[in-house]
Amino acid sequence: MKDKLVYLCIGIALTVLFFVFNEDIYEAMYYSVAFNNGLHNYDVYTPITIITILMAWGGAAVYYYAINSVRWDRWWHWLVMLAVVVLLTPIICYIVNVRMFNENGISMAAEAASFEFFNLVVTAVLFVIASFSMRWWSTNCRHTPIPQ
Amino acid sequence: MKMKHIIPLLLLAVMSLAVTSCGQSPLEKVVKQALIQQDTTQARFDSICSIIQQNPGRYKQYLTDDGQINLTELQALIERVGGDLRPPLHWDIAAYGQQELSLTIYFERSGSMVPYDNAGDRGQLKKAVNDIINHFPGSKVSINIVNDGIYPYQGSVDEFLKDRNIYASTAGVGNSAFTDFQQIFGAILKAQDASNVSIVVTDLIYSPADASDVSIDKILNEENSLATSIFRQYKGKSVLVHQLMGDYNGKYYPYTNRPVMYRGMRPFYLLVIADTPVMNRMAAQSDYAELMRPSQARNSYRINQAESGVDYCIVPGWEDDAGRYRISHKEEGLLTKVESDKQTGILCVTLAANLGGLQQTADYLGNVENYDVKAQTDFALRVTPITDKMITGNNRQYLEGKTHLLTLTGKFNTPRDEVTIRLRNEFPKWVAESSTNDDTNTSSSRFSTTTLGLEQWMRGMQDAFGATGDYTTMRLRLEK
Repeated sequence: MKDKLVYLCIGIALTVLFFVFNEDIYEAMYYSVAFNNGLHNYDVYTPITIITILMAWGGAAVYYYAINSVRWDRWWHWLVMLAVVVLLTPIICYIVNVRMFNENGISMAAEAASFEFFNLVVTAVLFVIASFSMRWWSTNCRHTPIPQ
Repeated sequence: MKMKHIIPLLLLAVMSLAVTSCGQSPLEKVVKQALIQQDTTQARFDSICSIIQQNPGRYKQYLTDDGQINLTELQALIERVGGDLRPPLHWDIAAYGQQELSLTIYFERSGSMVPYDNAGDRGQLKKAVNDIINHFPGSKVSINIVNDGIYPYQGSVDEFLKDRNIYASTAGVGNSAFTDFQQIFGAILKAQDASNVSIVVTDLIYSPADASDVSIDKILNEENSLATSIFRQYKGKSVLVHQLMGDYNGKYYPYTNRPVMYRGMRPFYLLVIADTPVMNRMAAQSDYAELMRPSQARNSYRINQAESGVDYCIVPGWEDDAGRYRISHKEEGLLTKVESDKQTGILCVTLAANLGGLQQTADYLGNVENYDVKAQTDFALRVTPITDKMITGNNRQYLEGKTHLLTLTGKFNTPRDEVTIRLRNEFPKWVAESSTNDDTNTSSSRFSTTTLGLEQWMRGMQDAFGATGDYTTMRLRLEK
């Protein structure tokens, strides 16, 4: 029980660190002056970060506690869930980003698309972190993707 | 669901709550919006104040003990919010919430001023004065007639505005045979308080009494010394000189005092006199635009203008850009990872600057010869006025509120460089071009655009305040 809680705490700590340093992390991965300045000035980083965190943790929670089935406990089932989250999240973030920019008269769809490619990587990492944080309490999928 | 299942879900919920609760207060959001939209008007300032005053509990640090806005704290908030933006934005609110300014007009009524306001002409002189009164944001306006002394105008401001023949209705006020500059300017400067703006409407022709046997050089030297001696006692004042043109039809009195008939254009002047902080305040507020730059003004120059900081920022991805760089978020004006264009070796960086508050003409600000660039790299500078057509959604945050683009182009091949761009404050050429030492020949081509002894008077005022340095200096640091 104690080890499981350590995993959970580490996962949460890493996620909070990502939230706090989201701008630095994103800008280390993708940087185009005008586009990133726009994300900063119009507060787009925050909703994108929140969406990414909620999608990754929410996706993992759905897999381990809602699906939570012996028919879906193989590693490729987990991989399907990862793929769904990793594809959906950048699409949602792209829409949010473009909408917020459009409201302020900014048009940078190409840069937004490139940025979301890197957000896809971030989402995948967060989904793995979330999975290893919460899988231990799943009744049927706690051995997925790697057995204990 | 068992208790142990609830633990991760509970932690997840707490984390979500913590994450989503992080954010700016409504006040910070409004300040940020005002800065990004460059909406630094009195109306926006008032709306920010009303947010504070409607939530005294939440925003008590922005209120004084008597419930007034604490401008120091609010300025600190604006600096904090503006400093976090990219590029950092500034808004000096010192001008807001201050005492209402009063306007005093000193309307010269000497013999050589009367022909500026004939019924059959266009009346540019009266129009210029009316425009200033009409566009002045305050309600405290008073008018005086000046020649050998200062005499209060007997009618109301409305009567003055409607008066179609101001010189006829003020006939007999004072002695119009000569203008006593020492008496007039001395009295104006002495009487002026910290919330007053005085405007002298004059042809700036020095016409002392008993000068018939005196040489013109002596008169002009006397004028120069007089200007210095009057203004040197008031070093805290600033004088903004506007030159305008008006129809003139009537007797002109040259320095020989033998009047000649003249019909044509003649320059006249509006001398705006105020304490330097008041002048700076008016320059910063668009409400005083007509006073600071009258629509009819041909030339303007402010005497005693200290160097001031201007808002400027790098415009990323501008059409002329060559090479690559990153804009530091930690230090304003620092570019890191600077690389010249790989094929040409050229680096081209564009800055957008707001030079609108410098009270200089568009020609002066747009002339690259008035700028000095100092750097290790041999940068060439190009200055381009920003037009509405240049502003798009993508560059709005960089160009809005700015007036000029300053483009630096050069072969950057040092590890680091520090670029300093200075806009020199030089005594304007138009003063010498508009000045004459002999005004007896009214048929001369220069007569319609020149004023006797203008340069001596202006230099006399300038000497009273001493050298003022540059208008502004912009700095940029480049690091590879």
